Amino acid sequence: MGEQLTPPTDGESVERRRQRAVEALGLSVPHQQRRDERFDRITRLGSTLYGAAWSSITVLDGGLAWFPSARGFEIPLMSREDTFCSRTTSVGRTIVVPDASQDPLFADLPAVVDDGIRFYAGVPLTDLLGNVVGVFCIYDHAPRTLSDDELQTLEDLAAWAQHELVSSSEMLRAGRVQAAMLPASPIDVDGWHVDGICLPALTVGGDLFDFALTDGVIHLGLGDVMGKGTGAALIGAGVRAAVRSTHPAVVSGADLGATTSRVARTLQDDLDRGESFVTLFQCAIDVRDGSMRFVDAGAGLCVIVRADGAVERLVSEDRPIGILPDDSWTERRTHLAPGDRMLVFSDGLLDLLEDQSRWWYDIARLVAEHEEPAKLLLALRDFATARVSFDDVTAVVVHRSREDER
Amino acid sequence: MIEFDVTTTADGIGVVVPRGRLNMVAARQLRETLTGLVEGGSTRIVVDLAETTFLDSSALGALVAGLKTARQSGGDLRIARPTESVMTVFRLTNLDTVLRPRDDVESAFDA
Repeated sequence: MGEQLTPPTDGESVERRRQRAVEALGLSVPHQQRRDERFDRITRLGSTLYGAAWSSITVLDGGLAWFPSARGFEIPLMSREDTFCSRTTSVGRTIVVPDASQDPLFADLPAVVDDGIRFYAGVPLTDLLGNVVGVFCIYDHAPRTLSDDELQTLEDLAAWAQHELVSSSEMLRAGRVQAAMLPASPIDVDGWHVDGICLPALTVGGDLFDFALTDGVIHLGLGDVMGKGTGAALIGAGVRAAVRSTHPAVVSGADLGATTSRVARTLQDDLDRGESFVTLFQCAIDVRDGSMRFVDAGAGLCVIVRADGAVERLVSEDRPIGILPDDSWTERRTHLAPGDRMLVFSDGLLDLLEDQSRWWYDIARLVAEHEEPAKLLLALRDFATARVSFDDVTAVVVHRSREDER
Repeated sequence: MIEFDVTTTADGIGVVVPRGRLNMVAARQLRETLTGLVEGGSTRIVVDLAETTFLDSSALGALVAGLKTARQSGGDLRIARPTESVMTVFRLTNLDTVLRPRDDVESAFDA
C-alpha cells in the first residue's frame, strides 16, 4: 500500500498547525517530567497485551520527542528524527513495521541499531480538529506482525490514550481558568480577614465564591450550582458574573433581596434550559461598625461562632434561584462584633459530616478550634481530602479580630 | 447502583420508589423515569422516599425538574415519607416549601 505524499508546502502548514495544537493543549516538553498514572496504565497494558518490550505515548514538540509515558526504556528526550513516531505523526495514520532492520525508512534509527528494536506499531492521537498531537505505540526486539483483531485492540487502546491526552488536557486548562476566577488574595483590612477555598470534585466544578471590598463594604457571595463538572461550571461562571454586576449597587446600600432578584432574572433562562438551580448566599458587611446584611437563596449553610463561643446559624425561608419563576428573596440583618467568626460553605462539606442533622455543632467546633482563618481553611482542606469528597467543597471564612489584637 | 420501582395506581398516579443513594448518576435515571411517566400520560406522580438513604443536590434538581414537567402538563409531583437525613437536605434549601413531604403515598394527592 503506497503512502500518500503530501506536497511540501501543505505539509509545512499541517506541521505548523500541529505544533500550535500541541502547545495549546499544554503538551510541550515539560520542565520537569512526572510519571502520570493516567498514561502509565495504558502503556503498561499495551506492553503486557502484546508481550512487547517497549510501549510509549510520544509527543513531538518542535524538533524534540518526549514521552508522557514510556515503558521499557528511560529516555526523557529524543531528537524527533530519531523516532519511529515522527513517521506516524507525519503520515497521520496507523503504521506497522514488521521488521525495521529490513525497512530503509527505519533501519538507521538508534532504537534499531543500538537497542535491537525490530517491530513497531504506532497509532496517531489527534485533537478534536484532527491535528496529530501524540502517538501511542508498542515496540519489540523480535520481528512480528499484528492480526486484524490485535490491530483493532491497539487502536482501541490508542483511543483511550487520546482521550486522556486531549480531553484531560482541555479539562486541566479549564480547571486553571476556573481557579483563576476566584479572588486573587484574601481581604485583610482594619481587623477584618476574609479568605476562601474551592475544591472541585472533578477538574472543574459548580461551586463558586467571590468577595471584594469597596467603600468600606465587604460584599461576599458563595454559590453552588446543582450537579458538578463542566455543565455546572459553565452555569457557575454566569452566576459569578451576574453577582459581580450587582456589586456596585450592593456596596452602595441596595437591598440584597432586590439585587438577588436581578441575579435570578439574569440566570432564569439558562437555569431553565439547563434544568439546573443554584443556591446562593450573599452578605454585605460594613467594616466600620460590623453591621451585616445577608440574603440566603436556599443555601442554609452559614454559621457564626461568637467571641464568647456561642454558636449561631443564619437561617432564611428563601428558595434557591431557578426553582419558581416568580420567587423573591428577603434581606436579613445581623452583626459581627470583634472576635466573631463566620463560616459560609457548600453542601459538599456537609456531605462529609457523620451527623448531618446537627451539622452546625461539628462545623462550629472546627471554626472554634482554629484561631487563624488560613489554618481553618487548611483544616477544612485536609478534612475534605481525608474523607474523599464526591462533591465540590467550598468555604469562605470571615474573621473579625478582637479589639485587643488590632 | 440504585433501583427504581415504578408503578401506576388505579387512579392513574405514577409512584416511583428509589431505593438507596440518590446521587448524580441515579439522579439522571430518576429524571428520565419522571419524564417517561409524564410523557406516558401519568402527570400526577408521587416519589416515595422512604427507602432513599441519601440525596444530593443533583437529585433535588431531578425532583424539581420533574415537578416542573408535571405541572406544565397540568399535573403535579409530590414526595412522600422522606427519612430524617433526606429531610435535612430539603429543609436546608427550603425546597420543602415547594416539595412538601406527605405522610404516605396513598393520600399524597388527597386535598
